[in-house]
Amino acid sequence: MKTLVNNLLAIYRRELQSYFNSPFAYVISVVFWLIGGLFLVLVLFSPDGPVAQVSAIDQLGVLPQSVDLPYEVLKIYLNFLGSLSMFILPMLSMGLYAEERKQGTLELLATSPLTNWVVALGKLLGVVTFYSAMLLPMFVLELIVFGSSDPAFPTILLLIGHAGLLLLAAGVLSLGMFISSLSESTVLAAVMTFGLVLVLWIIDEVASALPGPVGDALAHLSLLTHFTDFTQGIFDTSGLILFGSYIFLGLFLTAQSIDTLRFQRS
Amino acid sequence: MIEVDQLSKSYGATDAIRDVTFTVEPGEILGFLGPNGAGKTTTMRILTGYLPATAGTARVAGKDVHAESMAVRQSIGYLPETPPLYPEMTVEGFLQFVARIKGVSPGDLSARVTSAINRCNLQEKRSVIIRKLSKGFRQRVGIAQAIVHNPPVIVLDEPTVGLDPRQIIEVRNLIKSLAGEHTIILSTHILPEVSMTCDRITIINQGRIIATDSPEHLVERLTGKGGYCLELRGDVERSLSVLRKVPGVTAVDVIDSEGLAAGHSRFQVTIGAEDVGSAIAAQVVGQGLELFELSRNRATLEDVFIDLTMEESAVEESTAAAVSDEAVPDKEAIA
Repeated sequence: MKTLVNNLLAIYRRELQSYFNSPFAYVISVVFWLIGGLFLVLVLFSPDGPVAQVSAIDQLGVLPQSVDLPYEVLKIYLNFLGSLSMFILPMLSMGLYAEERKQGTLELLATSPLTNWVVALGKLLGVVTFYSAMLLPMFVLELIVFGSSDPAFPTILLLIGHAGLLLLAAGVLSLGMFISSLSESTVLAAVMTFGLVLVLWIIDEVASALPGPVGDALAHLSLLTHFTDFTQGIFDTSGLILFGSYIFLGLFLTAQSIDTLRFQRS
Repeated sequence: MIEVDQLSKSYGATDAIRDVTFTVEPGEILGFLGPNGAGKTTTMRILTGYLPATAGTARVAGKDVHAESMAVRQSIGYLPETPPLYPEMTVEGFLQFVARIKGVSPGDLSARVTSAINRCNLQEKRSVIIRKLSKGFRQRVGIAQAIVHNPPVIVLDEPTVGLDPRQIIEVRNLIKSLAGEHTIILSTHILPEVSMTCDRITIINQGRIIATDSPEHLVERLTGKGGYCLELRGDVERSLSVLRKVPGVTAVDVIDSEGLAAGHSRFQVTIGAEDVGSAIAAQVVGQGLELFELSRNRATLEDVFIDLTMEESAVEESTAAAVSDEAVPDKEAIA
């Protein structure tokens, strides 16, 4: 057990270190921060933004019912961060195994006393940690913005929303890791992972368009539907289980794919 | 230390290796010699647990490489053909990572890393990023990662390929210094390398082991087929007839006499099983020929290697030719 934890930590640390040493990861982060920050400014100050609109209606004195403005803003913003992440995540997961295959370091990992599961889990934890580091500045900005709300806005809603974002990211990254293990090409991995993200989007759209049990079933399987629940401050275990299942599926497929790799290697 | 028994590996219909059997004693260096694509890498990958074998067993330190894979992996240090390095890491950071995943306890970690660095003469490159290292240094880091957990068995796949002559000598000396406390298998297609570093040689060709022996014995096997080389002055025809009359001589040929003084010529004398060197000398001098040089042809490892690998392919070619000959009348019959 102790060696398992040690191995996991070794893989995790190396993975994290490679992100913090990679100029590419910094470029992605900067783009993420730039667009994310810009959108926050737009939501808050744009003349067409929800804040400006509500205040305009309020000045006319015809506000139909009370509006929980911070809550609406948070929902819009978290959904935007989720969508933005969908473009960023394939670029984070693309190198996880493709790079190892290209460098030949997979042979080192495969001939070390490690199980495929430990390697995959360590890598996933590493990339999720890097993604949460990317989210951190956004979280601080939100704390400042929502801290100025009067009456006070419950911080727990922010935490639940970000937990949802992290879970969604972990699910996508886990599947992206599996895709990355399929080829030596990082570009191919990124494109295929983005394709997968598109499919997830389509499933979500179809689920909301279809009435009846089919739509319900699809909605239950959709990562994005459960993510929307989280952004609304609904922390339900079924969402947690679904995200957990996607993460597990990604890990399982990765471990299997690395195992079969040995059988076809010529 | 290493026992390989009837090991086979096939990819679909093609056999990469077939019935490979050999053993390596503790502390020995075994050279795995063969042309490119002969199955050296496949055998090594099976030994290190990277590939599963189709049939047969391989044991390292008494443990089966497949059934007790984790224990075997811990006792093997492996340098693949391309050293597995993370270019963004420093030499020291990389070696610490490898030591961790090979199960070195945290207490011994820095001592093991330092010892591997010293062993491979990497002190000055300790905190350099691997991307910035030259090929020779990368190879040394590759060897360092194979020995960092102090494994009883070290497997090196073409450790000197792509290095300059000075680096090759350094790496060879490093490998020799590792023998004794470690059991080493190294593969190569460069002949002087095995004769200089290895205690025993296994020659593999087209997936099969052709010979396993010490370098000296392998060469001895071929010296019997050797002969003598003579440089004589005078009439070529007369020299030929004199040499042919020596009992035990099976053939005499005039060989290229370029670069010799005028009137000198060189002869290749092939002899039978009996060594008749002294008889040749006596006859030459007795018949009044002017002798300038008499030397024995020594078979080198190159000769052994080419001889053994050629025999195989010659057999293959003749069968292939026979098959195609048979195929022709059939075609005509159809036409």
